[in-house]
Amino acid sequence: MGEEKRKVEIAGEIVRAIEEHLAELSAGSVEEYVEAVLRERLLSEGFLSPYSPEEEEEMERRLRDLGYLD
Amino acid sequence: MKRVAVIGLDCADPDLLEEFLPDLPTFRELVRSGTFSRLRSVDPPITVPAWMCMMTGKDPGELGVYGFRNRMDHSYEGLGVASSARFSAPAVWDELGRRGLRSILLGIPGTYPPKPVRGLLVSGPLTPSSEADYTYPASLKGKIARWVGDYMPDVRDFRTQDKAWLIKQVHSMTERRFALARKLVSKEAWDFFAMVEMGPDRIHHGLWAHHDPAHPKHDPQSPFRDALREYYRLLDEKLAELLSDLPGGTQVLVVSDHGAQRMEGGIGLNEWLIEEGYLALKEYPKKPTRMGELIRRGLVDWSRTVAWGEGGYYGRVFLNVQGREPQGIVPPERYEEVRAELAERLAAIPDEAGRPIGTRVFRPEELYRKVRGIPPDLIVYFGDLRWRSIGTVGWGRIHFHENDIGPDDANHAPYGIFIAYPKLDARKERSILEVKDLVLSVMSDG
Repeated sequence: MGEEKRKVEIAGEIVRAIEEHLAELSAGSVEEYVEAVLRERLLSEGFLSPYSPEEEEEMERRLRDLGYLD
Repeated sequence: MKRVAVIGLDCADPDLLEEFLPDLPTFRELVRSGTFSRLRSVDPPITVPAWMCMMTGKDPGELGVYGFRNRMDHSYEGLGVASSARFSAPAVWDELGRRGLRSILLGIPGTYPPKPVRGLLVSGPLTPSSEADYTYPASLKGKIARWVGDYMPDVRDFRTQDKAWLIKQVHSMTERRFALARKLVSKEAWDFFAMVEMGPDRIHHGLWAHHDPAHPKHDPQSPFRDALREYYRLLDEKLAELLSDLPGGTQVLVVSDHGAQRMEGGIGLNEWLIEEGYLALKEYPKKPTRMGELIRRGLVDWSRTVAWGEGGYYGRVFLNVQGREPQGIVPPERYEEVRAELAERLAAIPDEAGRPIGTRVFRPEELYRKVRGIPPDLIVYFGDLRWRSIGTVGWGRIHFHENDIGPDDANHAPYGIFIAYPKLDARKERSILEVKDLVLSVMSDG
């Protein structure tokens, strides 16, 4: 997944709530949690692809190798 | 509150386990003092969606996921690999998270890309590589590298005749996954732990013929005739180590998503459809070619095509319906008639000597409580899954005694294993769809 990072501004109330509950949210940092939640949302909407085209091709090759597809 | 640990062994087979039991002290003890039964998988009994069916309590129709690759729309090319985004039904860990309980999830098929959970998640065999972000939280990946080195989501380059190499790869994957499981259960906080090890499936497909005297390719002198037994011994040893790390009083469930059986051959699904006039090509390929490739190259004559198929451990047939597919020709009012005719004729395909092979053909609405997404119009178990569905075209025949994509000895069987330790209510048979509620009930009662 992409390495490029960009800054966004989020309501302080949300950041404080995440900071207070980092342990329950199982995240190491606010950034880590926000990124994971947004990624899940965008994937479920179909706005982000789970695989790059190269990964999709590689996964299909592997699934063929394993006999699930042909 | 009682902790639950689900130890998933993909494709672990109940009959094989019973056969090997004298050599497996840990399994033997679990079976002797716990509960052992057969676990009925879903249809089709395939890793994806079966594990997520187990974890959500929903059947493939309810999930709208019918295999590793599914139609995303009614176009001819729109097939996509089933990622975690396709599974929207709440899994057992989602419900536990809402109760404030923590889960550790390791290697469960259908969990890539990782979704946030209350706990930790290491995604399963559809992880492209250990370079990918395969954990939640993302920072867990660094810990894994320090604990066990490079994470192996699955065996690479599985399709090989070099069986010694394959066995080494599978053993190495299993050892690493159990090493990681031991670290996770002993170093991290959890209420629910679930892992899936893919090794049994890979070893069955790669080496079943070496073990099974009834397999058409069996060689009693094979140097690999004990490879399956030796692998189950490794599993037994790893299971003992992991159990020793679990806190006292943990309810352990050792389960599999389906079983295995010898593969006797293959039926060329698209070759048969061509031969019988259901599928028309503009040009018959000079060499074996995947159906997807023929579609992509525009070589299917959709104006004369009634149906086409996808291969794999089971067959999927799609009808080319007017108003549904882009160039559909089957009038909607004739859909049921054509589907019934195809189902009857597919079920009657004999072996090359004209003997019946016991094929079963299903309509999705017969199998599932709901039918979501875009299911195949027919699901075909050639020889009741003893024969593979060959989707490639260009062979000029419909019967095969070798896989079209290289050596493969086994196919899937509908029953997996269920072991509960300590003992739960004894039953001869359970359904994979009961496991989620069972976990929730044990964790509520404990």
